Amino acid sequence: MFVRSFAIQGSWNYRTLIGAGLAFTLLPGLRALYRDEPERLDEAVRRHTQLFNAHPYLAPMGVGAVVMLEEEGESPAVIERFKAAIRGSLGTLGDRLVWAGWRPVCLVFAIALLLLGVRWWAVLGAFLVVYNVGHLALRAWAFRLGWRRGRGVGEQLRRSAVPQLQRVLSVVGAFVLGVVLPLLGSGHLAGARLALPWLLAAAVAAGLGARYGERVRRPIVVAIVGFALAGLLLKLVI
Amino acid sequence: MTSWIAIGILGGLVGLDSTAFPQAMFSRPLVAGALAGLAFGDPARGMLVGAALEIFALVIMPVGASRYPEAGTGAVAAASAACLAGAHLPTQVLILLAVVFGLAWERLAGYSVILLRRENERLVARDTREPPTARGVERRHLGAMSLDLLRGAAIALTGALVGAELLRILGPLWALGSATAAGLLTVAATGMLAAMLPLFGGFRDRRIVFVVGLICGSLLLLLVS
Repeated sequence: MFVRSFAIQGSWNYRTLIGAGLAFTLLPGLRALYRDEPERLDEAVRRHTQLFNAHPYLAPMGVGAVVMLEEEGESPAVIERFKAAIRGSLGTLGDRLVWAGWRPVCLVFAIALLLLGVRWWAVLGAFLVVYNVGHLALRAWAFRLGWRRGRGVGEQLRRSAVPQLQRVLSVVGAFVLGVVLPLLGSGHLAGARLALPWLLAAAVAAGLGARYGERVRRPIVVAIVGFALAGLLLKLVI
Repeated sequence: MTSWIAIGILGGLVGLDSTAFPQAMFSRPLVAGALAGLAFGDPARGMLVGAALEIFALVIMPVGASRYPEAGTGAVAAASAACLAGAHLPTQVLILLAVVFGLAWERLAGYSVILLRRENERLVARDTREPPTARGVERRHLGAMSLDLLRGAAIALTGALVGAELLRILGPLWALGSATAAGLLTVAATGMLAAMLPLFGGFRDRRIVFVVGLICGSLLLLLVS
């Protein structure tokens, strides 16, 4: 089940989200539980293909806990209530910890290495190894916690160090971001020494980015595409 | 031919990694760009294009049912295009145009993800007519993953072909010089990277560590310049 949980989002859809993926992941456990009862197996599979969602790295916690509940012979209604209760927490915690913490910190660090002139293969290796050590550790921890604690995972999550870890990651992220910005703003990515007006423009862009966050993405994308088109069309016009 | 086969395989795996399996982050533009460059013999150039696209992708959060550009396959296409068309263009112009193409292509790739998810809905969530069985769920789930693999390969391959042709045709038309290309890319990338600060708590809450980081970065800049 742990290996299958890596593919839990394999059939992601807008109706049941990762419901079918959860059933796919649970199957080895359900087959072991209902070995001689094919009808109960199919009935359990039908229940678990319904709506479910979680962060993919924390979903193994739900997988382990659901198998525990099935093994304890809990009623389908109780299991459904449990799944509905944990899916929000597993999603939000994972999003904050991984998508808004671990992943961007590792990526900004990798970009820093690249801008400092580290070879491409070292940047690639460092990022993939460091990131995936955290990734695999989180998945294994989540699965073990779900498997051991069953319905008690909610309480365990509340007691865990996840919120503190999120805070540490955001502090580290802000520091690494501060380190990278001068390297990037001075033209290291483009491999050029920039004139003063460009440096000032980069400083202004950084200020706007820091102030408005992801809301600047669309205007910046539109601007860079617009300038690129202008640069291409100018020759035709002149 | 070997390079194109490699791009097809890489595109498929990158498409799969971005959501379906195993999310080990080789679908990140930084990684995907370098690997695409490697397929065409220039991983360093591929990584530069990938790094620029990565900076644009960092603020995108794949939360819940949100719809977003698929940066990984876009990076494979853009980095491949840059390596194929790059011989006669200045590096800065090439990277800028490849990044602009990558930003457009990743939107198209994002639409293909939406289509795939609707197809998955038909494939795995049609239990009202046909109740799922254990074997049926396994078959359909793996079928959905196979579709994702093929989708990624198709998007990356067509993107590499289209991008390379566009860069070959349009690249020589660039009229603003290398310095302008470098400036534009730098300003846009700096703004995008700084947009990560609110994600890490914002300037108000993180001003001390952020400013310490800025000072350290400036000192490093003096050292490496």
